[in-house]
Amino acid sequence: MNSYTNSNGYLLLFRGTDWHLQMSPEEIQQVMGDWGSWFDRLGKEGKLAAANPLENEGVVISGKARTVSDGPFAEAKESVGGFFLLKVETMEEALAIAKECPALPYGLTVEVRPVAPACPAARMADEAGQHAMA
Amino acid sequence: MSAPPVHNPEVPKLTEHLFRHEAAKLVSTLTGIFGIHRLQLAEDVVQEAMIRALQTWPYYGVPANPAAWLMQTAKNRALDLIRREKLFNEKQLEIAASLEALPDEGDTPRFDDEIRDDRLRLIFACCHPAISLEDQTVLALKTLCAFSVTEIATAFLSSEGAIAKRLTRAKQRIQDQRIPFEIPSGAELESRLDGVLQVLYLLFNEGYKASSGELIVKEDLCREAIRLGGLLAAHPAADHPRTHALLALMLLDAARIPARQDRDGNILRLMDQDRESWDRTLIAAGLWHLSQSSRGEELSEYHLQAGIAACHCTAADYRATDWARILKHYDRWQEVSDSPVVALNRAVAVANVHGAEAGMKALREIAKPEQLETYYLFHAVVGDFEERMERRQEAAASFSKAIELTGVAAEKTFLDERRRACESNVPYRPGKHRPKG
Repeated sequence: MNSYTNSNGYLLLFRGTDWHLQMSPEEIQQVMGDWGSWFDRLGKEGKLAAANPLENEGVVISGKARTVSDGPFAEAKESVGGFFLLKVETMEEALAIAKECPALPYGLTVEVRPVAPACPAARMADEAGQHAMA
Repeated sequence: MSAPPVHNPEVPKLTEHLFRHEAAKLVSTLTGIFGIHRLQLAEDVVQEAMIRALQTWPYYGVPANPAAWLMQTAKNRALDLIRREKLFNEKQLEIAASLEALPDEGDTPRFDDEIRDDRLRLIFACCHPAISLEDQTVLALKTLCAFSVTEIATAFLSSEGAIAKRLTRAKQRIQDQRIPFEIPSGAELESRLDGVLQVLYLLFNEGYKASSGELIVKEDLCREAIRLGGLLAAHPAADHPRTHALLALMLLDAARIPARQDRDGNILRLMDQDRESWDRTLIAAGLWHLSQSSRGEELSEYHLQAGIAACHCTAADYRATDWARILKHYDRWQEVSDSPVVALNRAVAVANVHGAEAGMKALREIAKPEQLETYYLFHAVVGDFEERMERRQEAAASFSKAIELTGVAAEKTFLDERRRACESNVPYRPGKHRPKG
């Protein structure tokens, strides 16, 4: 795991669109309340750059023929239900926030991805160039 | 391009149990439109509306009128379904029209009345005599109170599989028997109302006896039973003295729930309870319904139980308890009920009026004592009487028997302390007889 600081922030991807199927209205409200407080606190602390849920449906475009087909994009347990873009400096901070997600105990998974500071391909070419000069 | 998060410092706080209550309301409204044989569909649609909220509110905030939002979402989802599915072939237009006619905004009084009627129709449908009493209770929890299978299984100390089976069976009965979605009238109402009251009573008891599991769910059971009872009492069709009596007994018992355990979860006897923590509002409401229940000639078992609960609630302290009056209630109750549990409770009242010897004598006179042999409270009461009669060795043995028979940790702890107090020959004081270490 790298711990380089990243001024471009970190993306939390909430994976799983079927973790709440067996929950009662009471439990759903509970998770939602906790989530709301969590979201608000992050907002107050200035750690949220963006946040959105994603629709469950959409299209996938593939191949040379640019075939357009309806999802599903992945199995329900892997499908992304929404994301947060975090304005934090380190992976550690991003992980700490991800671990606070109130839906984790119910089976939601959170993927934490650093937003690359530049296009990774360009960065590699850059690094290779520097390497050659060294 | 994603929008920056809308940061709302004034997040509306959802009222407690909003989702559960709205879900129960919506299920009955939709069942009224789809028909009771499509109960499952109504439940699915409502569940989807809740999930939709869970997927979007955390990012966009809570809408100004959460209840209306849920209603609208459920309605749209239902319209989607019936337009897409063939199952509604002949009724499709009619159902769509009814859905469209549902108000979008908030609640109008007219709408409230309709909801109330729908919910009562649903209670009566769930409590149809063609469905066994056990299944009725489970079905009521699922459809009227929006509990999940897991929560019901916890409440009934049963497995999720067993509960799911019961629900399937009950819904199948509704289909097969073509149980109507209506409040019966005339003579049929009389008999059906008793079934409804009994289900509410069972629901309440399940919560009140706190058999184990999550206490939170337990208190919810009591709350839901009271809520449905209130709905029933407010409806002209069910506004009977015994409905008020049941409601009174539930309110008066619920008022004392907070005092039954101390902060560490230890069980407290009535004499050890802090009466300051009894809920005065609930007591006042209970007494009001008790007065409503005395219209007419009816005297149901609910009346007698409510009367007993009122004696406790109106006593300034334990010493002021009017045991003689309580005993009179038990005497009358015993005339109409052959339940050994009633007789057991009566024996406690006897002991408090005439002494432990007399209490023991009352225990020996119980008609079906063999049914009590495996009931932990019977042995706990015997132990209590023996202790009062200074027969501490026997008392310790009785408490041991009671400990073996109960599955509730808090009860075990309490009884074990009573046992230790007897063995060390000192008077029992709450929390003073813990094992060392």
